[in-house]
Amino acid sequence: MKRYLRLHRIFVVQYLKKLMEYKVDFLLGAIGLLITQAIQILFLGIIFSQIPSLIGYTFPQILFIYGFSLIPKSLDHLLTDNLWMVGYRIVRKGEFDKYLTRPINTLFHVISENFCVDAFGEMLSCILLLGYSVPQLDLPFHWYTIPLALVAVVFATLIYTSLKIMTAAIAFWTKASGHIIHMLYMVNDFSKYPVTIYNKAVQTIITYVIPFAFTAYFPASYFLTGKDPLFCIGGTVIAGTVMFTLAVFVWNRGLRAYESAGS
Amino acid sequence: MESMIYAENLRKEFKKIIKEPGLKGSVKSLFHPKKEIVKAVDGISFEVPKGEILGFIGPNGAGKSTVIKMLTGILMPTSGMCRINGKIPQEDRKNYVREIGVVFGQRTQLWWDLALRETYAVLKEIYQVPDDQYQKRMAFLNEVLELDSFITSPVRTLSLGQRMRADIAASLLHSPKVLFLDEPTIGLDVVVKDNIRNAIMKINKEEGTTVILTTHDLADIELLCERIVMIDKGKKVFDGGLSELKRNFGDVRTLEFELVNAPDFKLLDYHRRFHLTEDELSAERDGSLARVRFDTAEVSVEDVISYTLSTVHVKDLNIKGVEIEEIIKRLYRREVSL
Repeated sequence: MKRYLRLHRIFVVQYLKKLMEYKVDFLLGAIGLLITQAIQILFLGIIFSQIPSLIGYTFPQILFIYGFSLIPKSLDHLLTDNLWMVGYRIVRKGEFDKYLTRPINTLFHVISENFCVDAFGEMLSCILLLGYSVPQLDLPFHWYTIPLALVAVVFATLIYTSLKIMTAAIAFWTKASGHIIHMLYMVNDFSKYPVTIYNKAVQTIITYVIPFAFTAYFPASYFLTGKDPLFCIGGTVIAGTVMFTLAVFVWNRGLRAYESAGS
Repeated sequence: MESMIYAENLRKEFKKIIKEPGLKGSVKSLFHPKKEIVKAVDGISFEVPKGEILGFIGPNGAGKSTVIKMLTGILMPTSGMCRINGKIPQEDRKNYVREIGVVFGQRTQLWWDLALRETYAVLKEIYQVPDDQYQKRMAFLNEVLELDSFITSPVRTLSLGQRMRADIAASLLHSPKVLFLDEPTIGLDVVVKDNIRNAIMKINKEEGTTVILTTHDLADIELLCERIVMIDKGKKVFDGGLSELKRNFGDVRTLEFELVNAPDFKLLDYHRRFHLTEDELSAERDGSLARVRFDTAEVSVEDVISYTLSTVHVKDLNIKGVEIEEIIKRLYRREVSL
């Protein structure tokens, strides 16, 4: 574990060096990112100014859920972005060979090779949304609120990452799965709003099949109301654990099916 | 003592979807895929003792890379097994790869955007090479592969020759017991080839590293390998020493005579004189040169020379080395059967 943390730090440092290597690209990327985020926040403001309340949720409550959803999303984005490349390129081009000839876990190796600084934009939105909504809400606070929040964030991120691992691993059989990952990302938009606004079928799917509801709505609603900790936080922990176990299993089966590419 | 590399009846099949040409064919195969099973490797067995350099040859698409990928644990064999350094790659991958080095000549394993030195620093951590050993190792690799002049350059700016040397150094950083080289000299100039061959030889001699290399450059084979395994269409077609290959498949030689009078060439009729067919001996004129290529199993070098000298005036004579390349070409073209 310690060795992997150390390796992760080394990979991240190398990645940052690589970013600096292409200065113009980095600068333009940073500017683009700021513009994108500014527009997104503006857009959110417009949407929510039209819907002061949504089936019993007040405007600040909706912002809180939205903001909370961005925490696991941005963490996953920051740390595991390279999985997209597994789906789009690495397997199809046979570049995955490299990871298999190194004495470290392949999943760890692939994931830690990239460090997506774009995610800082989402984090910025997240901080703005929470910073705006929290003071207006009378959130229940106990000594265990902060530790529970940390647990919820870790497992919610794990749900995201696991779903991404599973969809990326499909490439081991189909050679490319980038579009499947993309579809998954479309589904996660459902998690930004209270799930109670959707019909039963959608609710069931995003709770029990693709448990995106546990990445935002359920944990966030616990922190809003203090009700149902067992389902809201316990459910997040269970969903994260189950999904991650499943993801590792699918990944390892994928490795056995990997066919490389001709050379 | 057990062999360093032991492969038994290795097989690898790929499912291939046959497509008809054009967009229409692609659409059709999307809904009604026609599947075909391709046997890339069809039951190959061999062993390599510790410290040997084995040449792995065969025409393009013969299955060389697929075998290497199974031996290195990248691919799962469809059936059969291999054991290298006492380990089965597919069962204990992480521990197994710690003691092997792999180079794919066509594809770099270096970090494209990093300075070469950074790549080595990362690999040092991945393979957990202790500091003092790392220093010593880098000094040694610097010396044999001459990395000094480009070690601070980003990998993307390296020439092919530099990149290949850098890749080989990367595969040797953790002092592997077995080294797999898939076309390590592809596309390189003579000087770099020489440098790389010397490095391989030196590592093999000083550290007893077992080496498997695939190549299309037969000079690699003649200079480095004690033994070769030749495969074709996924099957092993030859396994033995170079001298054995020459003994079995005939020793093809080429003699070049520089004639005083070029038109004299037509006086030379080797086929009639030695009762040989065009396959067994070929004679051609190239300016004032008469080039005669023949199989020494059919006619001796001495006879060809004495006949030529007694028939025409010769200014100069050149005996070309044993052309193993010729034997292999003939094997690839299936002119000689096994």
